[in-house]
Amino acid sequence: MSRPKNALSDKNTQSYKRSQRVKSIGMNIILIIITIFMLTPLLWMLSTAFSPNTLIPPAKLLPHDITFENFSRAWFFPKEIGLNDQLTMGTFLMNSLIVTIAITIGGIITDSLAAYVLAFKDFPGKNLLIFLALATLMIPSYVTLVPQYIIISKLKWLNSYQAQIVPFLASGMGITLFRSHFLSVSKELVESAKIDGASDFRIYSTIVMPIAKPIIATMTILKAMWSWNMYMWPLIVCKKVEMMPLQVSIGFFQGQNVTQWGLLCAGMTIAMLPLLIVFLLCQKFFVGGIQAGAVKG
Amino acid sequence: MIVASRREKAAYYLYVIPAFVCFGVFIFWPTIQSFYLSLCKYSMSSINKDPKFVGLYYYEGLFTSDKFWQVMKNTGVFTLFTVPVSMIIGLLLAVMVHSKLIKHKTFYKVALYIPYVSSMVAVASVFKILFNSNMSASVVNQLLVNLGFEKVNWLGDPTWAMFVIILVSMWKSLGYIMIIYLGGLCGISDDIYEAADLDAVTPWKKLTKITAPLLKPTTFFLLATETISSFQVFTPVNIITNGGDPFGSTSTLITFLYDEGFKSGTMGKASAISVVIFVILSILTVIQKKLTDED
Repeated sequence: MSRPKNALSDKNTQSYKRSQRVKSIGMNIILIIITIFMLTPLLWMLSTAFSPNTLIPPAKLLPHDITFENFSRAWFFPKEIGLNDQLTMGTFLMNSLIVTIAITIGGIITDSLAAYVLAFKDFPGKNLLIFLALATLMIPSYVTLVPQYIIISKLKWLNSYQAQIVPFLASGMGITLFRSHFLSVSKELVESAKIDGASDFRIYSTIVMPIAKPIIATMTILKAMWSWNMYMWPLIVCKKVEMMPLQVSIGFFQGQNVTQWGLLCAGMTIAMLPLLIVFLLCQKFFVGGIQAGAVKG
Repeated sequence: MIVASRREKAAYYLYVIPAFVCFGVFIFWPTIQSFYLSLCKYSMSSINKDPKFVGLYYYEGLFTSDKFWQVMKNTGVFTLFTVPVSMIIGLLLAVMVHSKLIKHKTFYKVALYIPYVSSMVAVASVFKILFNSNMSASVVNQLLVNLGFEKVNWLGDPTWAMFVIILVSMWKSLGYIMIIYLGGLCGISDDIYEAADLDAVTPWKKLTKITAPLLKPTTFFLLATETISSFQVFTPVNIITNGGDPFGSTSTLITFLYDEGFKSGTMGKASAISVVIFVILSILTVIQKKLTDED
């Protein structure tokens, strides 16, 4: 990253270095202020979650007395708000986990299968299908909300996992991303495997998919993040509490006019933590994945 | 190219069937249905009855109702503030984090990106407590009073309530915008800046005459996606202002759609709203495409 010395030799003076240091400190100060500002709401949430409940929410970023009571009560919040004695946040976490895993894995399989033939094969209607896959990106999801709800309701799928999973098992963006990645890995590789007598499914599963690891990582992150944080659709199709995913359940929790701030904040923390931990562990993939999704999607 | 047998060709369709059946049932058919249902009387409570054709009844009702123009105005105001401001701050953050003078790039990237991966429901709930409608319980008001300012009725005042919705949306998307701009900045060769350094170009000129023009494609991309997603804001409004309080001053197109379709159950009217959303977003997309192509 360092500049070539000769190009700037006339500037390599003491005063130049000093001005660079001043700039560097200045920018760091600005960035630190903005970073603190950005993290304050979350730090406040954490601090309040660990503080004993007070009448008015504390305007502090550090808890005065650390307590874990809020977390254990928040875990049983359906009981806490007098809704249901059996349910815990574990139920909602599990619902979210099932939906997220199913959409992510199922979606990657359907997208990549379609992308495989759309990239390597010629058959009637292929261009139309490519066009349709792109067309799905132009249709805002809310436009289809009412008829989707009617379809789900007629299928008798309200309050089920299917309702939260099946509509999202394919995505135009996934197909497009997979296809362009497949085309960029050598087409000859696929054809020579074909000459060797390998079946298409074998080529797909043992040659194409293993090479596509980076794009699989990208899609895993995009799909998992999207489905974990999905809110409006499950809000519409899950009226039964025991089927609610985490996001809907905590939305419901905060809507009960709970004024025990520590309890609320503990609930929000539990809801936010799983994805945050995954993000901190694989932040490199997240950043790269979002950029890749933006450029091509 | 190896010529495939007919049987093999037939097998190709098996690969595309799962995805395209899903598109057909859950995207294309519902899109067509939306247009049809917008011309019908159809309610959630009698979902098994056939829709009754009423022509442009709901469209007429929409365009003459104050509520519709209110949500259009609210959505427009929300978008006009959220998108440009968060894009400018996001660009400045990206330029600073990208600078050679900044050492802990990963720290800033991760820290600023955390809001984007946080759940909007949880974040909005936290903002709702910070700007509590019970004025003395609001954390922000406690700070204001400590600093010697007056309390503000954040969620009870139409303007301030919209401000809070805009604030939480910007707060959440800043990190994303920064990351996308950082991707764009990585594509710009260092040579250009070195040449500029030799000519003693000021930092401001570097930003406006070199960086910004070279980032035009990224800017167009963000402008389009951010505008489209801003037009569809729902979660923060649903959580923080219960879907539009006070007096509908924060209600948006999507909360309107949600109220009509899923609270009142008038699905014909809700479909008319979704068709309007579709038309608006299509126009925005076409404009964006024109701008990108001209470039």
